Amino acid sequence: MIKKEKVTERKTDFKYEIWSNELQKIYGKKDKAFEAVKKINLRVEPGIHGFLGPNGAGKTTTMSMLVGAISITSGEAKIRNEDAGSVAARRLFGFLPQDPVFYNHMTGEDYLIYMGKLGGLHKTEARKRAQELCAYFDIFDDRVRPIGEYSGGMKQKIGIAAALIHKPKLLILDEPTANLDPIGRASIIEKIKEISKTVSVFVSSHILSEIEQMCDRVTMINNGEIVISDTLKNIKKKYIGNTYQLDTNKNQEILQSLEKKDYVQKAWIKEEDETVQVIPKDADRLQTEIPKLILDNKAIMYSFHIPEVSLQDIFMEVYALGGSKK
Amino acid sequence: MSLETIKKKTKSLFLRVKSETVENEAFRNMLILTIKTYQDLTSLKKFLISLVGMMLFPIIFLSFETTIDYNSISVQHAAAAISIQIIFPMFFWTLGIAFICIIGTSGASLIAEEVHSGTMLILVSKPIRRIKIFLGKFLGLFLYGAVLSFCAVFLLGWIAVLRYSANLLHFFALMPFLLASYLYSLVLLLIFCSITLALSSIMDRPRNAALGVLFLVIFSFIGMMVLKMFIADYYEDYYLYHIDLGYHLSNIYISFLEAFNAIPLVAEWQQWFAMTTGVYETASPTDPDQDINPGGMIRTDYYLPIFSLLIWIGIAIGLLAYGLFSLKNREISV
Repeated sequence: MIKKEKVTERKTDFKYEIWSNELQKIYGKKDKAFEAVKKINLRVEPGIHGFLGPNGAGKTTTMSMLVGAISITSGEAKIRNEDAGSVAARRLFGFLPQDPVFYNHMTGEDYLIYMGKLGGLHKTEARKRAQELCAYFDIFDDRVRPIGEYSGGMKQKIGIAAALIHKPKLLILDEPTANLDPIGRASIIEKIKEISKTVSVFVSSHILSEIEQMCDRVTMINNGEIVISDTLKNIKKKYIGNTYQLDTNKNQEILQSLEKKDYVQKAWIKEEDETVQVIPKDADRLQTEIPKLILDNKAIMYSFHIPEVSLQDIFMEVYALGGSKK
Repeated sequence: MSLETIKKKTKSLFLRVKSETVENEAFRNMLILTIKTYQDLTSLKKFLISLVGMMLFPIIFLSFETTIDYNSISVQHAAAAISIQIIFPMFFWTLGIAFICIIGTSGASLIAEEVHSGTMLILVSKPIRRIKIFLGKFLGLFLYGAVLSFCAVFLLGWIAVLRYSANLLHFFALMPFLLASYLYSLVLLLIFCSITLALSSIMDRPRNAALGVLFLVIFSFIGMMVLKMFIADYYEDYYLYHIDLGYHLSNIYISFLEAFNAIPLVAEWQQWFAMTTGVYETASPTDPDQDINPGGMIRTDYYLPIFSLLIWIGIAIGLLAYGLFSLKNREISV
């Protein structure tokens, strides 16, 4: 009976490209144990899904478990209903690791053919596909040069082409734009957006603006825990109107006063423009009390409004509200 | 036959075909890795340097003057005399120190370097089991070693013939000796490919894996030889032959030669083995009254050759399994 239920559950879960249940990774043993991923439940639907988090949040560890590079301490994960790490699952995805390393003596084309053959293609098919991908990524003329001579952007393109060579159903990209210049980043983002029309993409980054440009859905992770997972639209809807921005000539003093008020849940100074950000417990009281607060501090108010939210603001707000539990 | 039965049979046939296809794919992937490993190892420059390195010491041996007129004796005698000239440098250097060092340094990087540099991360994300990655690399290294030792053994035989007689018939007559030496090199390869790949799987850095193999070679061929020379009594008293890889290897090599009837059993070459490997007793077998050598030196017989072979094949398989296990359970990250 239990088995039957499990089978039914898995059939239902097939709608997910990536599915995990209480996925956990602990490094080390006993006193030195470090829990890098804390029993997360990932749900990645078809489309392009961003995986966000600061450095050291657990993104790469999670992806490494999904591709089978490291073992899962407890819980389970599935790639299109195949056990993560199994050969069957590895047939279904293409993977680009963070800072990918190549066989520098091989030419770009030979490397792609080799990867294609390992992915199950026959040599002629792999060669044809390698040439198609080189043309698609604008490195056709450079395909016969050794990878060691490639620029960072070209290496990244070869890395994504290698992940795509065996026509996978899903692409797992770990920080694909890391270490690239702005032009290289824009070019890779554009390509990922194009690819995502035919292949599902699970992409990690700590650069929020990039994820905002690319993704339909995002999962935010911090300290090994998922802090939010939803469509970008829903997340923005949920967080819009919740954070007020106040700008005066005495922002620091105003912040100190606000932090003492019982109608304020959280207040901080935004680094970029040094304005005061306020999350109220009682929005009406905040609006009525602000003029008094300005007068008390003998400050001049330049603006007080609810700004349009970016993913960056949401990210900061999520963590400010306790996304970072430690 | 009911429709349900037909459906079931079709499904079972489909699953079997699918499972066979998956198996074939896994085997194909292993073969791709074998070929890639072999190609990476076999650059022409590296191959030639290795070949020259393997023949350097024997060629010095061949440069010594000889009083035998090889073209005036029978072909069989000439071939035997040539084999006597090259057997010790062949065992000690060509298929000993040089060959093992080349296999060790070439193979040490095969897994450790991929893990250390990060290329293994991409490899393990491909649909191929880690066991197949390990075996693919093992076979690639084995193939490289087999080609290298084949070239070295037969080229050395040919150079020796050219040096002494330049008679093609002598080369053909030398064939049992060369074949026995080549077969021995394959056993050696099995042992040292396993050791190298196991170390490469366990160690974090390729340098450490290479140093591990080099240490083993120095210990086996030079360390134990020095020990035997200076503390000969302790060698037997403390049963040091148990751990003397040089002894076991020479025990196996000589058995191969005996099995192929590849070389006359005379003290002229046996004394070298007696001194260095302990496979023969160092005392002279010559009858002092008649000053006659009754037919070579006496084998020490610490181990039956088959046991020497089985022990080392067992160790090779054990290390292979350990290497496989460590790669299978290794956390691969950048």
